[in-house]
Amino acid sequence: MSRLSWVGAAARRGVAWLMPAGRRGWVEAVWAEAPEVPPGLRRLAWRAGGVRLIAGEALMRGRIGSALLFAAAAALAAWAAWPGSLASFATSVDRVDVITVVALLGGLALVARSVFGPPGSSRVARFLRVGAYGAILALIPAKNVVEQVLDVPPHGGIDLRLYRLISGPGFGNHWDSEILFLVVMALYAAALLWLTAQRSRVAPATLAIGAVGGTALGAVWYAIGPLGFGGAPATNPWLPGSDIDPLMVLAWILLFGTPVAAGILADRLYTASGSSVPPVGGRARQIVAAGLLTNLVGALFVTVSGTSTIAATLKAAWLRNWLYHGHLLSGVAGLRLLLRGDPGALTYSHEITAAVDAPPFLIICVVFPLIALALTGLGALSLWGNAATGQGGPPSGGGGPAGPEAVLTLGNLPRGG
Amino acid sequence: MSARSGFSAQTLAVLAALCAQPSQWRHGYALARQTGLKSGTLYPILIRLADRGLVEACWQDEPQPGRPRRHLYRLTTDGLAAVALAGAALAGAALADPAEPTARPGARTRRGVPARAVP
Repeated sequence: MSRLSWVGAAARRGVAWLMPAGRRGWVEAVWAEAPEVPPGLRRLAWRAGGVRLIAGEALMRGRIGSALLFAAAAALAAWAAWPGSLASFATSVDRVDVITVVALLGGLALVARSVFGPPGSSRVARFLRVGAYGAILALIPAKNVVEQVLDVPPHGGIDLRLYRLISGPGFGNHWDSEILFLVVMALYAAALLWLTAQRSRVAPATLAIGAVGGTALGAVWYAIGPLGFGGAPATNPWLPGSDIDPLMVLAWILLFGTPVAAGILADRLYTASGSSVPPVGGRARQIVAAGLLTNLVGALFVTVSGTSTIAATLKAAWLRNWLYHGHLLSGVAGLRLLLRGDPGALTYSHEITAAVDAPPFLIICVVFPLIALALTGLGALSLWGNAATGQGGPPSGGGGPAGPEAVLTLGNLPRGG
Repeated sequence: MSARSGFSAQTLAVLAALCAQPSQWRHGYALARQTGLKSGTLYPILIRLADRGLVEACWQDEPQPGRPRRHLYRLTTDGLAAVALAGAALAGAALADPAEPTARPGARTRRGVPARAVP
């Protein structure tokens, strides 16, 4: 096989990936006939028919549309996030971020189809996938703006440079935290792809509960920390702020209460949706999925909103000056002592105060889903316990109304030797 | 006409071509030549017919040297029954409406489909 033919065959196999698995052989079938067609325009037209077949079949499944949408969003994120010159540590980190996140999201989507099965056909499943991918892509440019500020040398006087020297080279730009961020984002994408896949057998109502509950949770947490969760007071900047502020208390209650409530509601709806009592395994799946999805969506919501707000304050001086008054500059310990009225130092201190409050969002991304998993996992275990002691539904694992169950009949029993 | 038989004119043409020698496996290019359909039209039709269980497909066992294995097609029992039904529908329609030809001539001549779409 010549190199050109080999490249052509490889390209064809790559393009055929856009088609559903059961259709790929048909592309090969069209190509296999091409040598029979007289060379020239007629053979070219025959091959063009194969391309048309791929386009038609792939478009029918919405895969080309999804791929184009993802490519456009990824290009936009890369364009917005790509830093100018390779002069600092933050710049190299940002470039790695952009490339890795885009590759991760694209690769996971391909792998998820073969591992988790096709995406759920419900509208809420599609909405969740698009929303999660859009949120993660939107996070990259915002995060990169923050990191550029964290790594930039201070423009102020000698005191600030001294402060910088004491604080170390950069406040948050370390490879270990970057790797943790990329791992967390990959886990988020994988979890959302799994929850919204057909094979996970999570009911559309469960997905809707998780999406709504998570958005509410994220909105309340954004309200108490629109500029991050560093050293600045709680409910910064528009409320006086304290740890016992009613909104703060509500946020903590919601953090633990929303996944539990979502799990209970999902279980009720799932149980009510079928004509018979669904299996315990299916109910437990809905409980854990609803709770986990709630806190995943909530954490992603507050992280993207908060980081974007911080990035906006860093890009727009008027917004930063409006939000950061003198009393809020305690975010970086000891910084206020070094300011002494220097305008350049004041600007830098405002920027750095805004920027240092962004990294704690990563902690939220890790902790929120763990809380949900712990709480709903306990709920699922107690359901199983009740079933085992005869207080719950029928004690069996498996699915429910959300997806087809494997049915073992005499016809498909394995034949022994 | 095609709506009454449940098949488009092009699909009927493919069925007719396969029905000419129902026991024989046919190549895609041969079907394209016989029906006058282009590959971009012929293969989606074959895919739908295979999905509905009217056509069965397989790969050639022994390809010609230096050539890739070719895909082969023939009608299934259900396919033969569907062609018979379609033929009856066509015949019935022709009797009911003698002014209307067996199939739309415009569509057929445009695609180069033989005049007798259903044997």
